[in-house]
Amino acid sequence: MFTPGSKFFLGLTGFSLAVCVLYIALVDNATGGAVALLSIAAASGVVAGLSLFNRDGEVAVGDTAAPAGAEQLSSSMWPLIASVGFVGVVAGLITHPIVFFLGLIALLAAGTEWLVQSWSEGASSDKAYNASLRGRMLHPLEFPVLALVGLGIIILSFSRVMLAVSRDAGAIIFIVVGSAVLFVGAIFALKPSLKKTLVVGICVASAVGIAASGIAAASNGLRDDLVKAKKEHHFSHKECGEEEGEHFDHLAEGTISMRSNPIATIELRDGKLTARELGVDKVTQTITFPRSNDATIIFRNKDEREARLTAYLGTKAVQDGVVEEVLNCTQMIGIDHEQALTFKIAKPSMASEKPYTLTVPGLEGQSIEIMVP
Amino acid sequence: MSAKTRRIVAGVSGLAATSFLASCAKDAPQDTWQPKGTNAKIIDDLQQPVFAIAGVIGVIVFCAVVYCIIKFRDRGQAMPEQTHGKPALEIGMTILPALILAGVGVFTFRTVFDLSKTSDTQMVVNVTGQQWWWEYDYPAQPELGITAPIITSGQMVIPVGTKVLLRETSRDVIHSYWIPALNGKRDAVPGRVHTLRLDADKPGIYAGQCTEFCGLSHANMRMETIALSKEDFAAWVANQLADAKSPAENTLAKEGEAVFLNQCVRCHQVNGLKKADGTPAIAAPDENVWSGAAPNLTHLMSRNTFGGASWDLLNKKCRADVWGASSETVGKKYLAGVSEECLNQTDLRRWLRNAPAMKPMYADPTQLSSTNGKYRGMPNLGLSEDDIDKLVAYLSTLK
Amino acid sequence: MAIIERPATAGGVEIAPPATPSRAQGGFKRPVSTTGWKSWLFTVDHKKLGIMYGVMAMFFFIVGGIEAVLIRLQLAAPEGKVLSASVYNQMFTMHATTMVFLFVMPMAAAFANYFIPLQIGARDVAFPRMNAFGFWCVLGGGIFINLSWFLGGAADGGWFMYAPNSGPIFSPSHGVDFWTLGLQITGIASLTGAINLIVTVLNMRAPGMSLMKMPVFTWLQLVVQFLLLFAVPVITVALFLLSFQRNFGATFFDVSAGADPLLWQHLFWIFGHPEVYILILPSFGIISEVLPVFSKKPLFGYPFVVFSGAAIGFVGWGVWAHHMFASGLGPVSVAVFSISTMAIAIPTGVKIVNWTLTLWGGKLRFTAAMHFAIGLIVLFTIGGLSGVTHSVAPSDTQQTDTYYIVAHFHYVLFGGAVFGLFSGFYYWWPKMFGKTLNEKLGKANFWLMVIGMNMTFGPMHILGLQGQPRRMYQWTEARAGEGFFNLGFWNQVASVGSIILAVGVLLFIINVVKTARSKELAPLDPWDSRTLEWMTSSPPKEHNFDVIPTVHHLDEFFHRKYQQDPVTHEYKQIATAEEILADQEAHADKHIHMPSPSYWPIVLAATLPIITTGVIYSIPVAIVGGIFLVLAMFGWALEPSTAPETDFDPPAAGESTKELAPLV
Repeated sequence: MFTPGSKFFLGLTGFSLAVCVLYIALVDNATGGAVALLSIAAASGVVAGLSLFNRDGEVAVGDTAAPAGAEQLSSSMWPLIASVGFVGVVAGLITHPIVFFLGLIALLAAGTEWLVQSWSEGASSDKAYNASLRGRMLHPLEFPVLALVGLGIIILSFSRVMLAVSRDAGAIIFIVVGSAVLFVGAIFALKPSLKKTLVVGICVASAVGIAASGIAAASNGLRDDLVKAKKEHHFSHKECGEEEGEHFDHLAEGTISMRSNPIATIELRDGKLTARELGVDKVTQTITFPRSNDATIIFRNKDEREARLTAYLGTKAVQDGVVEEVLNCTQMIGIDHEQALTFKIAKPSMASEKPYTLTVPGLEGQSIEIMVP
Repeated sequence: MSAKTRRIVAGVSGLAATSFLASCAKDAPQDTWQPKGTNAKIIDDLQQPVFAIAGVIGVIVFCAVVYCIIKFRDRGQAMPEQTHGKPALEIGMTILPALILAGVGVFTFRTVFDLSKTSDTQMVVNVTGQQWWWEYDYPAQPELGITAPIITSGQMVIPVGTKVLLRETSRDVIHSYWIPALNGKRDAVPGRVHTLRLDADKPGIYAGQCTEFCGLSHANMRMETIALSKEDFAAWVANQLADAKSPAENTLAKEGEAVFLNQCVRCHQVNGLKKADGTPAIAAPDENVWSGAAPNLTHLMSRNTFGGASWDLLNKKCRADVWGASSETVGKKYLAGVSEECLNQTDLRRWLRNAPAMKPMYADPTQLSSTNGKYRGMPNLGLSEDDIDKLVAYLSTLK
Repeated sequence: MAIIERPATAGGVEIAPPATPSRAQGGFKRPVSTTGWKSWLFTVDHKKLGIMYGVMAMFFFIVGGIEAVLIRLQLAAPEGKVLSASVYNQMFTMHATTMVFLFVMPMAAAFANYFIPLQIGARDVAFPRMNAFGFWCVLGGGIFINLSWFLGGAADGGWFMYAPNSGPIFSPSHGVDFWTLGLQITGIASLTGAINLIVTVLNMRAPGMSLMKMPVFTWLQLVVQFLLLFAVPVITVALFLLSFQRNFGATFFDVSAGADPLLWQHLFWIFGHPEVYILILPSFGIISEVLPVFSKKPLFGYPFVVFSGAAIGFVGWGVWAHHMFASGLGPVSVAVFSISTMAIAIPTGVKIVNWTLTLWGGKLRFTAAMHFAIGLIVLFTIGGLSGVTHSVAPSDTQQTDTYYIVAHFHYVLFGGAVFGLFSGFYYWWPKMFGKTLNEKLGKANFWLMVIGMNMTFGPMHILGLQGQPRRMYQWTEARAGEGFFNLGFWNQVASVGSIILAVGVLLFIINVVKTARSKELAPLDPWDSRTLEWMTSSPPKEHNFDVIPTVHHLDEFFHRKYQQDPVTHEYKQIATAEEILADQEAHADKHIHMPSPSYWPIVLAATLPIITTGVIYSIPVAIVGGIFLVLAMFGWALEPSTAPETDFDPPAAGESTKELAPLV
């Protein structure tokens, strides 16, 4: 099936690609050579495609059964799409990059389809055989691409809708649409006698509906609270003082709270802070913390109100002369809940002016001293 | 079996038994069958009968197979009875090992919980593993004379007959602390604290090794636990609590101190060392070493190994003297530290000249991109022989 | 007579055949050749695939063996200079990885692929193209992992690759990436193979073969496939977590992000413990076939052997943390896993008893295969008993990570798994290749391997109990103890033993070459065997059986040859193997339906190393590989399992349809 000429160029394409991969892996500063090798690959790929298309320019060799030259052409939409793509590419250079890329994709798709279709029509004089040939070559490409595009549109549209409506409305829409899909799908499966046009009509209508609502939702934008969260960086800061943050504190807890073998457990009970070190039986007000080593403590709130544990971990120089406290803290922990806090202290206690401590903001006179040897 | 065969078998098994029993090294420093502390004894008391049972079963199976080979070989007999099995026998042979193992299981269960007891701890040491050495932090424990935290590395000193609890962790990868004479091993895992109890019956030097693969120099990550009598331990603590004294002016050691301040203090801490302007020199290994620490050298010469306890600070003669000492004299010999005459000049100089050549480490400055330029191990400082002379003189004062 | 049924034309109506030219210039014609290199590259025949698995596994056995000998050479002297610390670490990691994933597992797969369909009276497996895909994946994955030697250093974190040492900071070279991604590829092969064989065994047994009439080899391999099915996904997850940490900045094992490094250990060992049963059960199955044949008695206690195999399959999931007794789990977990580990010794011990009682009262012939089988019983017992000493957790805290553990697993893996595989070679060679391996060379092979093995791994018990840890690139005189028999002496004995072992393996290779060159053909049934795979020609025809046998007994073949006189209880031979085969050929099935070769399996398998290379070096390459992967998957799905008429060149005038050439 592969003519000698096309075999050579395909081999050259593959070989230069392989060499390019190796080159990138083995050589520092590989850009120049890689570009060169990729260009060779691209060029020989194009020539390979061309020679495949016209079978090395030879008329069908040894073909006595039926002249393949008596091509039975069938109608094709690909020339049209190719021209649309070409226009898109040119127009996109002037208008919007999206148009350019859509045009480029259309050109590539049309190019491949047109090429294979023409080539398969020249294979023999049997239309069915030619069609099965085209199918064998292109179906493995068409099916996944169409599936991806279709699924992509549906998922993207649906997600824009979810982001635009309120939380509760979103939940309702999700349940309703999901159930509708399930219901309709079940009907399709149980009644194979349904008319084909009806089924196709329902599918197309739903797809168009989802796409349209997706476009509408996308133009509407995010719902208000999401816009606000993005602007105010709700999900990326910590409050380590007495303030009760609405966002950081009510996220799914940022660190795990159940873990084994923490270095110490700090408990807040009846307004008093106490500590227990692992392996040591007694209750203390000072814990030994390793130097230059990430370690975890667990804060357990057995008091009557929400509380946060804040760790003072020394200072660091931010700009010339400006010195900032280094704080780390848990979220506001509810009654009878706990949270783990992992941190590292690089310098020993003797290198810090103020001792390292663990405190609960708002609770005076209670602190656990952290001793770093 | 004929008489001749019997004699041959007896001879061979006798030879095998004696050679097996004689085939062990004497005084292997990390022998797991020579317990020298309570916990190691508990383990040994459990493992000896289990090994015996296993040995007996092994011999029985071997003899059964040999018997079959000899008795049932093809001598032209007719096709044998095509027995498919005897359920009663098979059930019996399932129940018998189950009973034996159940017995072993009960004792094992008890022993596991016995060994994990920490409520009667008398002393706590925080052990931190790091590529490729061990650091020991003794928290302040006034009842034992430790009035302020002590930091040392390589050799951990404990008092005899004391239930010591190690709280192990790691600064980088998983290591494992193992002193076979005193207890089984326990992994040191970063981000976690694991407990291990050690106590030694008699004074001595007990050798151990890191036993969880931790990278390039895993084989060079060793340690010793030194057990001293209670008086000797108090003396050791008092020495460790003291700061290092600056050497006298105009000595080679004083020049060595200058070299130390210039090169070494970037990573290594010496308590009491002062910079030229009189302020304390505080090492900053967290800025130079990926795992953030380097051994504290304040009392380097009070220990007798270095480089992750993989090389001796004592020369051959002194080492044989100290390590081979009886339990009555080992305390005094250990406390004497490493004197000028006993110092192993060769290995210490080799280390200062080019540490990575001696112990494989990731300390080549051109290959530190994955650790943002920080070292994992001691680099080659490119010291001149002169500098090395001075440094050796200075280090010898760190007793 | 037509062997392959061509698709029939519909209903009797004359339809003009399509006017295809005699040499259609069609696209991507399906491969149909039955001889030559293309017939191997595109085959879906379980026997050809079994042979290719075997050749690949043997190659990696030698690679792993060379790695082992280099390790022993480095440890033959104190402070050895043969390998640097970095290369040594790579060497022991790759030795273990190669032996476990690229030798024992594929070799067991070789035997499973070749003999399961034959033993159950089927013509092939349930999903032949998937079978081929599995092989090409293992080959691709094995080559990929070993490419790391040439591309910056192999993986060096130990075969269990504990985090965080395996993370990007502590293992900066690409070695661990090659290891992780390569094992993902071989894992895919194991999973597809498992599904394939489970479906085959459950659905394609010959009529009359109930599960309790199935040969023990097939039974234990079935248990292995279930173990693979559930264990491989666990390591897949672990490898994904590690590769995402290394390549995409994830923090699964990053302590500063709050992670617990023990996660890796749990995930790895939940896979790792069933994995060791995956390694040993096939060999148990092989000797459960060999011992009865050469004792001229059935396997003693067949139901017990089968059920204890299934019991091992179940209980094996509950013992993983015995690899973590020193990892800081806490006394409750340690005690529980200690007890469960003791429990699993019981079904294993049951098998030893049953094998020994098979020998008891038998008529023992000591062929080379029998030597290896008996060797397995003794050596595995030694390894198993040292395993029982590890199950005592307090004692294990002294033994773990020392050479005592190395001794244990080499006795069970080499003395167990490898000896079983060699027994299988000597037993089944005549069926696979039509010639028997030389018996004298085979026995010499056995003795050298036994002596070499015991010399190498026996002293390791002593080394471990006397305190030498494992994974040390050098040992020193200072810690070797005193006396002549100190640790240094035993290290040297072990190193010498490894050379003897290597020579033993070399003898096997020589035996293979000598047999290939010899002209002497083996009889159909050289050992007077008992199971169905011997009821075929040697080697079997492509379609295995001319007529699918109906099974009435366990050990069906034995019962077709021998009948017991009800009065005298003597066994008389009523038919020879040749007569049985001739009878089969006379009543051959008319329409035998065989799957056709295909190139999609190898094409799909080839896309996987492209993707993994891209993940390491350049994401666009991975994306391109991914596109080809999707293409290949759809191409495969759209291709019928049997080639349609148009793929075959129509016969020239006067010629009948081609017969498939027998396997040679």
